Amino acid sequence: MNNNFLKQWILSTNHKDIAVLYFIYATFAAMVGTSMSMIMRLELVHSGDTFLHNNFHLFNTMISAHAIVMIFLAVMPALIGAFGNYFMPIAIGAQDMSFPRLNNISFWMLVPGLILISSSMIIESGAGTGWTVYYPLSGILAHSSISVDLVIFGLHCTTISSLLGAINFIVTAHNFKGDSMSMMDMPLFAWSIYITAWLLLLSLPILTVGITLLLMDRNFNTSFYDVAGGGDQMLYQHLFWFFGRPEVYIMIVPAFGIVSMVLAAYSKKNVFGSVSMVYAMGSIGMLGFIVWAHHMYTTGLDTDTRSYFTSATMIIAVPTGIKIFSWLATIIGGSIRFSVSMLFALAFLVLFTLGGVTGVMLSNASVDVAFHDTYYVVAHFHYVLSLGAVFGIFTGYYYWSPIVTGLNFNKNLARIHFFLIFVGTNMTFMPMHYLGMNGMPRRISDYPDSYNAWNEISTFGAILSSLSMLQFAVVVENQLSNGERVTNDTLINPAYTFGNTIASETLEGHSNNAIEFNSPAPLAAHMFNTPVSKFVTYVN
Amino acid sequence: MEGIIELHDNIMFYILLIVVLVCWMISSAVVNFNEYNNHFSMKYLNHGMVLEIVWTIFPCLILLMIASPSFILLYLNDEVVLPAMTVKAIGYQWYWSYELSDFLNTTTNQTIEFDSYLLNDEMLELGQMRWLDVDTWLYVPTNTHIRFIITSMDVIHDFAVPSLGIKIDANPGRLNMTSVIINRNGVFYGMCSELCGVGHSMMPIKIESVNVEDFLSNIMEY
Amino acid sequence: MTTMLTLALTMHGYIADLNLFFIELLVLTSSISLWVRDVITEASYLGDHTKAVRKGLEFGFNLFVLSEILIFAALFWAYLHSAMNPTTELGLQWAPLDIEKVEAMELPLLNTIILLSSGATVTYAHHAWIQNSYKGAAIFMAITTLLIVIFVALQFCEYFFALFTIADGVYGSVFYAGTGLHMFHMITLIIMLSISTIRVTKRTMSQTHSLNLDTTIIYSHVLDVIWLALFVLFYVWV
Repeated sequence: MNNNFLKQWILSTNHKDIAVLYFIYATFAAMVGTSMSMIMRLELVHSGDTFLHNNFHLFNTMISAHAIVMIFLAVMPALIGAFGNYFMPIAIGAQDMSFPRLNNISFWMLVPGLILISSSMIIESGAGTGWTVYYPLSGILAHSSISVDLVIFGLHCTTISSLLGAINFIVTAHNFKGDSMSMMDMPLFAWSIYITAWLLLLSLPILTVGITLLLMDRNFNTSFYDVAGGGDQMLYQHLFWFFGRPEVYIMIVPAFGIVSMVLAAYSKKNVFGSVSMVYAMGSIGMLGFIVWAHHMYTTGLDTDTRSYFTSATMIIAVPTGIKIFSWLATIIGGSIRFSVSMLFALAFLVLFTLGGVTGVMLSNASVDVAFHDTYYVVAHFHYVLSLGAVFGIFTGYYYWSPIVTGLNFNKNLARIHFFLIFVGTNMTFMPMHYLGMNGMPRRISDYPDSYNAWNEISTFGAILSSLSMLQFAVVVENQLSNGERVTNDTLINPAYTFGNTIASETLEGHSNNAIEFNSPAPLAAHMFNTPVSKFVTYVN
Repeated sequence: MEGIIELHDNIMFYILLIVVLVCWMISSAVVNFNEYNNHFSMKYLNHGMVLEIVWTIFPCLILLMIASPSFILLYLNDEVVLPAMTVKAIGYQWYWSYELSDFLNTTTNQTIEFDSYLLNDEMLELGQMRWLDVDTWLYVPTNTHIRFIITSMDVIHDFAVPSLGIKIDANPGRLNMTSVIINRNGVFYGMCSELCGVGHSMMPIKIESVNVEDFLSNIMEY
Repeated sequence: MTTMLTLALTMHGYIADLNLFFIELLVLTSSISLWVRDVITEASYLGDHTKAVRKGLEFGFNLFVLSEILIFAALFWAYLHSAMNPTTELGLQWAPLDIEKVEAMELPLLNTIILLSSGATVTYAHHAWIQNSYKGAAIFMAITTLLIVIFVALQFCEYFFALFTIADGVYGSVFYAGTGLHMFHMITLIIMLSISTIRVTKRTMSQTHSLNLDTTIIYSHVLDVIWLALFVLFYVWV
């Protein structure tokens, strides 16, 4: 018994088990991150002495840790590690990932990551540098404790994990497809994970170098970034943002994939123009590599440089717009069924558009002079991340958890969850636009009295958002203990798959889009034991 | 700064256009095409060459219309032609230090240099603003082309005065420059805009601009 | 295992005892070697490596090499960032004032010649292997391994006798970071070459299934190219 538990959960090579581990881990990390954001919002609820009793360093530590935990330990493991690992092999008809042991190491490298980042907060004073860990503040003079070193090592762990995972995904996509499936036939979710894996592979090494040089500057008396030795602090910013820009696309592209699948399934139509969707995701990924300095507009870059980055960043709006319009064209003309995941996907469409257009506003270097490092930027990225990627995670959860667990969730509880998180996050982040336009800077722990009003509303929204996380926990608990068993009838109901056999077979590649729903739920531990030659959707 | 506001409003128009368009389409889809009044989905509606070209070109046009005033403003901002005076702002952890080195006191052979600390709550007088008022602030003349040179002595800070439309990072070991012409007398506040440690929220910037004559006559008081 | 790696490394500044670090290195090396042994076992003795699996492993290895190339690219970026615009602290020149740089045409040139020769010998070995000449392949793989060992030894010499350290400003830092990372990879290459040589001599690889050999050869070629770039940028152009 003991041996079996060890083998299944610690030494697992089954992509489904590893994906479940990733999801549990990501939920845990998301709770940690949410609590940190609550601490921040409680401190900022009004000006003057509040929650943290003027312990500003703790506040700075909370900011940095909130971002690192949410980005590296919650969103990325949930989207790429959990959903990607579980569904990408199924989507292409593979038995498992290409390198199962590597998959296992990828997951277990995340655990030291969390331990290191948590210990950085507990040991000595904590890393109050912001998640970007800019140089002189994170140097040995300004942060002489071990905390920043621990953060760097934690990031090393997560980097290795994601890098090995990326190699795994790319090789699986190329090598393990079923016989009749070419690259273009892959479902959109598989494509999104594939593109994300390429982005990870190409951007993570740069982060590794950037933070390793920082480590050496701190501990080995080198002068990569230190001006006194002839180095340049701007080098760190360049290296970091060369990674940082693709990183945010890494976080959102899997959500694009999930939303595509859900919108198609619940409007009983295939995604409009799936080929151009693939190209759009690919070009968003590629363009993400050449626009990094739009985070550095105010650092004193040359004007021509700034104008290049302005134009390059604005070009990214074009493929993103193509995707949004294609999604709209998917649901128009369909027969929309308002399941919970569809609610999340529709909300994603609106809110991601809102976040995207504030991004267009910020991309102009001249306007960015007013908005850099203010709450407008905070509002922008939280709209696209917290209301984009996180909504994508929930969309995926509600779409796929019945077939993963074999148990249905309670729709009413889930609708309450949707309502709470929609209202809560909007209430939290919409006022931040106004705060930013009024000039409130980022990362400050106390502010002039005139910013009181919007901050209070924002904190109230944050309280609602954390209530929604609790509600999510209630939903999951209810599903796992009281959920009704999923039967074949509920699954192969036309509401879950789309079309009948004629539509699925004659349109190219479209029979591939609901593979996971054509097997009995919960999905077997080893599917496709004989290689797949052709996929056919059939209805009882 | 007025240029920025104008550009912002310009861009907001296009943004609102797009957001309203998307919301309208979604709501019309939800209202007209839900499963209760539309049982059959148009499942062959999957391609449309013309439509795809239109919705590729349309954002490009909008971006072009946003980009042209944006670039004009960007290059305008960069023109530092003939500044009449120079102000150096040096960021420390956690205060600013200003130097007006154009003015030499011939008796003591000193230029104007002073530090600008935040006034904490006990030291505030009636009518002063919490977290924004400082003990010694910067006096500059209006209608004069002033050049700011910003640097830092320890970590990265950011000299930001939103009302004047300036925001430049103060990098250690690097001199960043920007220029300002203030069009009216008044007091302008700003805050440090790059995380610089514990006192990041405690480094405001206060600039008061007065007439040129008043400025020159009062300069001796420094 | 990996926890130990990172935790041990962090303690290096804070606990004055390096023993934990060595234990951790031991754990890491043993786990890697056990894993590699498993892979080799599955390949040669269990027959698990079908053509599809081999394709996958080769592709995966190429992707890993790509990420390593990117790490070096970032280091080159760091180098060029500081070298193309030397600051006043450096005396506005590169190599900075008062740093006595390593003469490019002495030891580094010898190292370059050694690496280029090793590239030639490994190509010879590869072609011999393809044409079924086991003996030729084995001999030339051994020669290649020897050449790389000499390279690493000479690099150690160069480091020992260099007149500047890693703490000597940005020049020393980027120099040692770039060449040091390269040398670390060379040591890994020595291990890979030795394993390949042993497996060639013991005939545990076949004509069609020689994944270990192929990947090692690619690795050595890539490191060669990186060294050439290092040589040109870090030594000659200075």
